[in-house]
Amino acid sequence: MNRKVSRRTRIFQYAALTAATIFAVYPVWFIVLASLRAGQDLYTLDLPGMFIPTKASLGNYQAILFQTPFLTWIKNSLKVATFTTIFCLLIATSASYALSRMKFTGREWLLIIFLAIQSFPAVLALVPIAQLLSAMGLYGNHLGLILAYTVGTLIFCTMNLKGYFDTIPIDLEEAGMMDGCGPVQSFLLIALPLARPALAVTALFAFMAGWGEYVLASVLVPAPANLQTAMVGLYQMANELTVPWGRFAAGAVLIIIPVLLVFLYLQRFLEGGLTLGGVKG
Amino acid sequence: MVSWSNQRKFLILLVFLGPTLLGILIFNIYPISFNTYISLTNRNQFHPNPDCSVGLTGVFEPTCWGVFKEHTTRGLATPFHLQEPIYQNYSDLLGDFFTKPVLIAFFGIVVCFVPLIVAGRINKRFENQIDRPVSAGVVTLLAIALGLVLAYLLKAPAGLDLIMKSGDFFVVSFRTILYVLLCIPLFFIVGLAFALLLNSPNLPGRAFFRVALIVPWAASTVAIMMSLVWKFFFQEHGTINQLLSLVGGKPQIWLNDPTISFGVVILANVWYTYPFFMVVILGALQSIPVELYEAAEVDGANYWQKLVNITLPLLRVAVIPVIILSAITTFQMFGTVWAITEGGPSRGAGTPGATELVMVYAYKQVFRTAAYGRMGAFAVIMFVFLFGLTLYSLRVSRITKGAYD
Repeated sequence: MNRKVSRRTRIFQYAALTAATIFAVYPVWFIVLASLRAGQDLYTLDLPGMFIPTKASLGNYQAILFQTPFLTWIKNSLKVATFTTIFCLLIATSASYALSRMKFTGREWLLIIFLAIQSFPAVLALVPIAQLLSAMGLYGNHLGLILAYTVGTLIFCTMNLKGYFDTIPIDLEEAGMMDGCGPVQSFLLIALPLARPALAVTALFAFMAGWGEYVLASVLVPAPANLQTAMVGLYQMANELTVPWGRFAAGAVLIIIPVLLVFLYLQRFLEGGLTLGGVKG
Repeated sequence: MVSWSNQRKFLILLVFLGPTLLGILIFNIYPISFNTYISLTNRNQFHPNPDCSVGLTGVFEPTCWGVFKEHTTRGLATPFHLQEPIYQNYSDLLGDFFTKPVLIAFFGIVVCFVPLIVAGRINKRFENQIDRPVSAGVVTLLAIALGLVLAYLLKAPAGLDLIMKSGDFFVVSFRTILYVLLCIPLFFIVGLAFALLLNSPNLPGRAFFRVALIVPWAASTVAIMMSLVWKFFFQEHGTINQLLSLVGGKPQIWLNDPTISFGVVILANVWYTYPFFMVVILGALQSIPVELYEAAEVDGANYWQKLVNITLPLLRVAVIPVIILSAITTFQMFGTVWAITEGGPSRGAGTPGATELVMVYAYKQVFRTAAYGRMGAFAVIMFVFLFGLTLYSLRVSRITKGAYD
């Protein structure tokens, strides 16, 4: 398409895009600004201070890193999220391959049941899950949380990967089967390498599900502080009136910015990877 | 595919699907069945303990199973048992709904939506005809007008009031439906507007804006943190009040106002969700052939005519599944609302707060008043409703089909 765009339209477009960008980015930018204002400075903002750092100090970062169990929380979150990702990928990949490639009675029913299960309100499944885990002696520790997260994201991962497997042409595997590949070989040697981009996106989402989740973590591992995940620890800190809010902001920046960078780096995969799976993260 | 013997096929399926099925059985199917059983009992703060010898309790309650006996802790309170009659929790929850005046009121409200459904049918029938007598917009507007007239004639607002009075269940359900109905059009409009802006031809800096506008999606993966930021904006010493005091306005506690806090919760949700719509719409926009627009220009169509007659109809296939999926997630919205308002501001003891959506209500009932039995019934009702929505979404999005179909 090569059409002239009038100057007025261009100006309007840029004005609208600037407004949209401020709406989209400001809350994230605000938290960066807030993290740079130590102590009570946050509550006495001036107008330029709303948009650019004016009284920048790293006091909040110092406080959160060395006066709170923040690093332990991060370590816990990393551990939980990493194991969730590994378990989830291990289990979901083979299941999604079977659901996409193999014909068996009840396959469609199985998928309908998966989706039905997802529509059960997670908040209300909390009590039975907590009871089950405490009966197994896994309440209040990381293994229980990892198990709950793994199964919690399992259906999403399976659906997402199945959506991707559906788009890979079957011809390659059929050629492989002609040459004597069994289903396991054609899965491991042909389909899996082809599905690498989808595996990356799914891994990212499984990781994020463990990294950013709050409700399950707050119920299953409520205390003590050295076992809490970063979300639970920071959430409690933000709601304590004695702790300056800027300190929470510093912690949040340390959690959000890496996530943001990884996500934005991988976003070009999102369009294909997610809309094909047809399930939202 | 090459066929294998049945036994071998079964084995291979078991290897591929077994772990998933096991996980789902333990952490999904079991909680759902347990919940359904609890919904038939009087388990609450006064009867929290199981009595393993009664009914199915010994089957469902994990502390009754031999393997886990050592973790059993028993309180002194009387154990729970099945309700008498067995559907007691359900009838408590639905309150006076099944009495004559309330049912009549409900029927009246349903009737008000009939013109809209009829209009949808008519529009679908004439969808692909060039020489249709009236345009789809006119039919829809007529239907809305007719619906409003019917609502006036049948006293729908008074009927709605009557239904609301028959139980908390209806208050929180209607509020949540209202929330979804307000959120979805906003998701779509904001997503569409941003996608159209990004899709304008030869726009310098397009890549930058595309990344910038997708930031909220990335931030929504740590939604609970960002929700606390949204809360800070509207706090007593928050950003909005600081801005106001700079320009000489009067600061106020925004989240104490029911309408404003409802708006804030919607705003935060729109911020999280519009990028998803934007990305999907952008993809769909780029798949629309340019020739269609060129043909329309030859016929003298302006921007709006092209938008309404070409772009929007062609977006429908991509957008409808997204709308249904986000309707389901919005209906189940919990974390964001919890972080911003905790369901408040309160409207007095015993009534749900102004932003108490269904999941917030359920969470409060379970974790603050330990109403396990009644909330089990609540979960079952929600489950049936959401399952219906999911089945409907399957019909439009066809995700259960395999590679061969």
